[in-house]
Amino acid sequence: MASIILRDVDKIYAGGVKAVDGLNLEIKDGEFMVLVGPSGCGKSTALRMVAGLEDISGGEITIGDKVVNHLPPKDRDIAMVFQNYALYPHMTVEENLAFGLKLRKMPKPDIQKRVNEAAKMLGLEQYLKRKPAALSGGQRQRVAMGRAIVREPQAFLMDEPLSNLDAKLRVSMRASLNQMHERLGVTTVYVTHDQVEAMTLGNRVCVLRDGLLQQVDTPQHLFDSPVNLFVAGFMGSPSMNFVTAELVRADGGAQIAFAGHQLPVPDSTFAAKPGLDGYIGKKVILGIRPSDFEDSRAAADGNGAGWTRLPVRAEVTEELGSEINVLFLIDAPPVEHKDTVAAQDNDEDEAALPLSGDKSLWTARVNARSHVRSGQNVELVVDTHNLHFFDPSSGLAIGHPANVGR
Amino acid sequence: MSGTVPISRAELRERRRARLGPLQGLSHLALVLWTVMVVVPIVWTFLASVKSEDEIFGEAWSLPATLRLDNWARAWTEAHIGQYLLNSVVVVAFGTLGTMVLGSMAAYVLARYEFRGGRAIYLLFVSGLAFPVYLALTPLFFVVQNMGRVPVVGPFIGLNTYAGVVLVYIAYSLPFTVFFLAAFFRTLPGAVAEAAFVDGASHSRVFFQIMVPMARPGLVSVTIFNILGQWNQYQIPLVLLAGAKEKWVMTQGIAEISTSAGYDADWGALFAALSISILPMIITYTIFQRQIQAGLTAGALK
Repeated sequence: MASIILRDVDKIYAGGVKAVDGLNLEIKDGEFMVLVGPSGCGKSTALRMVAGLEDISGGEITIGDKVVNHLPPKDRDIAMVFQNYALYPHMTVEENLAFGLKLRKMPKPDIQKRVNEAAKMLGLEQYLKRKPAALSGGQRQRVAMGRAIVREPQAFLMDEPLSNLDAKLRVSMRASLNQMHERLGVTTVYVTHDQVEAMTLGNRVCVLRDGLLQQVDTPQHLFDSPVNLFVAGFMGSPSMNFVTAELVRADGGAQIAFAGHQLPVPDSTFAAKPGLDGYIGKKVILGIRPSDFEDSRAAADGNGAGWTRLPVRAEVTEELGSEINVLFLIDAPPVEHKDTVAAQDNDEDEAALPLSGDKSLWTARVNARSHVRSGQNVELVVDTHNLHFFDPSSGLAIGHPANVGR
Repeated sequence: MSGTVPISRAELRERRRARLGPLQGLSHLALVLWTVMVVVPIVWTFLASVKSEDEIFGEAWSLPATLRLDNWARAWTEAHIGQYLLNSVVVVAFGTLGTMVLGSMAAYVLARYEFRGGRAIYLLFVSGLAFPVYLALTPLFFVVQNMGRVPVVGPFIGLNTYAGVVLVYIAYSLPFTVFFLAAFFRTLPGAVAEAAFVDGASHSRVFFQIMVPMARPGLVSVTIFNILGQWNQYQIPLVLLAGAKEKWVMTQGIAEISTSAGYDADWGALFAALSISILPMIITYTIFQRQIQAGLTAGALK
């Protein structure tokens, strides 16, 4: 096992396209690091550079205490799992698992032992004599995992390994991956475009966009305090609601005003976000997570401290069983910041209502007890302690520790 | 069988017809025509090989009064078809083997590795496809003659040698082989090779242990194609083996039967010899039929 350190890593393709731009990332020994971002953000390229399948245009990659820039993949002591499994089609499962060990001239009995252990762990024992073509997608994926496990490498590199599986299998494979990492404790770098996978799997998550690192943090931190509009819009599903609003000082304290609504901003928010008071009287971009809404009828403490009422008309409701997504219109133009646009190409929900015109479509996630239906008027309550504020020009989160002084 | 609803044969036919639509009739007509065009000459040849001379020049489709198997015996003993058959097998075996080894390696590198001049080399190979062999027959003769003057190996690769013919066969078969296989290698998933690299395989091991087995359908079809092409060569061995009758290949032997005696040729033996040369090809094709089909459609299906 080993740590992996990327220092100022660049990847420039022929033609001058910069796929990865000055990436600095330290993956600790035994850590599960997820690289996430929309397609084309450079996450796969970064992983392939760690694997040695892609030349490094600049910077330095260290695995363990070895600089590996010019080492071929076989000398890096890493194992990789590919999106389309990449099993050797003419070999049986057993031969697939043993191939890497045979190449390393391991004695036969040892190979047998490791293959059997891995097969047992992954439930592949009865398939050892089969060829990959005779396996289902999930079984093939497990063989691909097994091929990595038997090697007992310094690090696992996984390139969207679950994206070819159907939804249900993906969830169960996600759980097995978590278990496997718990058990083996091997440093893992995992690439995905699915932010749910990123949130559930990673010890830490690294959000990339256009080859640039946006934020590296634990999943909860990413969710609670995104560093900029892009991360805020990309992480979380349904994604965060944005509106251009004005921060004003009123009688009862600070308020945020948008589209005819006024929400109080508690003093604790100003304490937590240094620099926010400098925006009083100015425009900011306000962000509210769908999960920070609730139906006032369903909320047990609907009148509790910090929860403010917001009467709206539910345009569309999506019932998910345990909760309901309420889509409603806010009388303000959609925020057209480059960051929010970039984050949204992953999320089709927003494009569903093209008739919203000059209004922005927001989503609230309320308890299923609310029983709200499309077309009904509903009174939502907002948890004003979890409001997010972004600078309208730079898109950076106001008062975020990483942005202070930027 | 219990639980399944029995379907009559007529019903099945009906369903198939419904699926194929009105074009079915036309396409079947075309296929029948094609079959006739292919089968008639072959049947005619085999039939003529067991007829007497008078019967051959009589009714084309009459059956022979008695089976004249002595035609085959004469072809084998007097016309030395046995020796020529063996020569053909040797030359084609080495020619095809060399073509496949060199061609597959070249095609793999050209298809899978980016390097300066790679595209130019590929185009050079492909331009060989447009090159008419017979136009350069005279220069070819002199080139092979000069090869015979190379020190040490010269006597083995010059005129009137097996190796000389084999080398020329390889050179002439490479363009199509490289063209076809490069396209084939490009369709194979790259991630499998990458997985092998990460597993610790060297470039040559990836080629021989991973890519070649994966490319098997393509390799089989090109191999068959090359065997057919080289087996039917006449002009090249005629020029290059002119001075060594004991090294002649099948096609030369057959031609010899008809040309040696002017208009008084032994037609029965000629057809027998033709049959002997056709049979191995039919047998090979029948054995590898499935692979050839798989190879020809592999690119389309993905």
